[in-house]
Amino acid sequence: MHVGLEHYLVVSALLFCLGLLGVVLRRNLLVIYMSLELMLNASNLALVAFSRFNGHLNGQVMVFFIITVAAAEVSVGLALIVALYRKRQTAHVEDLTTMKL
Amino acid sequence: MNYSLTILEMAVIALGLGLLLLDLWTPAGQKRQLGYVAAAALGFVLLFSFSSLVDSGVTATAFNGMYVQDDLALFFKRFFLLTAILVLVMSVEFADCIPTGISEFYALILFALSGMMVAASTNDFSLLFVAVELITVTFYVLTSFQRSRLASLEAGVKYLILGALSSAFMVFGIALVFGTTGKLNFTELAGVAAQFSADKVFLLGLLLVLVGLGFKIAAFPFQIWAPDVYQGSPAPTTAFLAVGSKAAGFVLLLRVLFGAVPEVTAHWTRLLMAISAATILYGNLCAIPQRNLKRLLGYSSIANAGYMLLGVAALSRAGQSAVLFYLGGYLFTVLAAFTVICLVMRRIGGEDISALAGLNQRSPFLAVTMTLAMVSLAGIPPLAGFFGKFLLLKAAVEQGAPNHAYYWLVAVAIVGVVISLYYYFGVVRAIYWSEQPADLSPIQISTPIKVCLCLCVLGMFVLGLFPGVVVNVAANAVATLKF
Repeated sequence: MHVGLEHYLVVSALLFCLGLLGVVLRRNLLVIYMSLELMLNASNLALVAFSRFNGHLNGQVMVFFIITVAAAEVSVGLALIVALYRKRQTAHVEDLTTMKL
Repeated sequence: MNYSLTILEMAVIALGLGLLLLDLWTPAGQKRQLGYVAAAALGFVLLFSFSSLVDSGVTATAFNGMYVQDDLALFFKRFFLLTAILVLVMSVEFADCIPTGISEFYALILFALSGMMVAASTNDFSLLFVAVELITVTFYVLTSFQRSRLASLEAGVKYLILGALSSAFMVFGIALVFGTTGKLNFTELAGVAAQFSADKVFLLGLLLVLVGLGFKIAAFPFQIWAPDVYQGSPAPTTAFLAVGSKAAGFVLLLRVLFGAVPEVTAHWTRLLMAISAATILYGNLCAIPQRNLKRLLGYSSIANAGYMLLGVAALSRAGQSAVLFYLGGYLFTVLAAFTVICLVMRRIGGEDISALAGLNQRSPFLAVTMTLAMVSLAGIPPLAGFFGKFLLLKAAVEQGAPNHAYYWLVAVAIVGVVISLYYYFGVVRAIYWSEQPADLSPIQISTPIKVCLCLCVLGMFVLGLFPGVVVNVAANAVATLKF
């Protein structure tokens, strides 16, 4: 079977939707955060596929930026979630209720 | 390639790193003074931005056209520098509430500032992404800086999850735009955007990019985070978020809508108008029952994003320059309000409006400043907020003849202004006409804060009474944009 651009894009769209579902449905902060990374990687896959099949290198360079930024974001994010866990002894979104109308 | 164009950003980053080093040799008791050092150094950078070395009057690009230095970029860079100076002075006052790492707090403000300055010069989707993330990731830390306060941590986590979600949408949007057109550069994209204006995938990609930018400016329906994050963050962070981060969102929005895809934007009038109207109504209606001052200003900032989107939706040069003018007035107004909040509230835990009771006896100066800020936000002449709103509405009315929907939008905006009178004057009432203030001890105000507040008040009056100069500067700044 010949694997073309469409196949990669379908996988990328599936990954993106799975990530979005995870963010919406899951209640644990760490799992939500993992799903967010899945969404970013879906975009990475799409960018690399577009780059490969359309013959522009720009998309692949963009992927390097995204990977780097995502790493920075994860380090800050995990530190934040750990700090919250120490204070609150929970990592569930239902417990984030200090501020309400 | 012309690296010297980025001299302002490099100066700010060097200053941030230098501050972290300086922290090592500064005794613990004097660390808070580093904020004044940073503010003074930024003052020099601001002055330097007016020199002919930086402001050469011609549009120049660097990094293969990714980075552009034009009047629009310089306008926003000066705007961000001024914001950061005022926020730094405010942070020095706030240092009591941050037990450790105040120097890091200052340095992070500088790094966020450098992100905003890069955002002002963005001419490429990859630079847009990096600039947005530099601002957002820094703000995750700034938001949750009071680690001993649960509200601060909670605000940080909420901002983190929703911020990461919006940037995931934005990156996917960029991937789709790149996939259909093969371009990431705004100038190149503007050349081919017309032929893709019917391509569904391309339009979906642009919409997803707008989701990411809508999150930054807190436009409906991406405003969910704003009230909680505004309430939970330390006061200087909230002020920086309200002015700097929002303005960065708007400059990127202007660059994308009118620099990269003007042909597509022309078809999106209705969408922009609907978002603007919904944002104005949501912000103003939800602000009515609020008792927490920072949360109230959070909703007010949503409403203000709506007013500015009205200028964007007008799709005219007048509308674009009105957005810039409005942001100028918004800077002085909001920073004055947050400085007063910071000074009054730092001794007490909560931020309820009732804490302002008796402020006119505790410090008449702060009371007058807060009142002027509220009057300006409400859009009453002769202050900056009035003239800004006037320009925005005028730009929309001018477009009304061919498209009557603009009249409805203006009507919605006026309804919003009328609603806002109620809650802004609730704050003024709390200052002057509340019964039984518990605490009547006078509030100490340091000289730098006094200077900053005077500057804010002066700014509000000058922009309201003599708007000519800034109107001209704003009109020049948007001359490079298309519509």
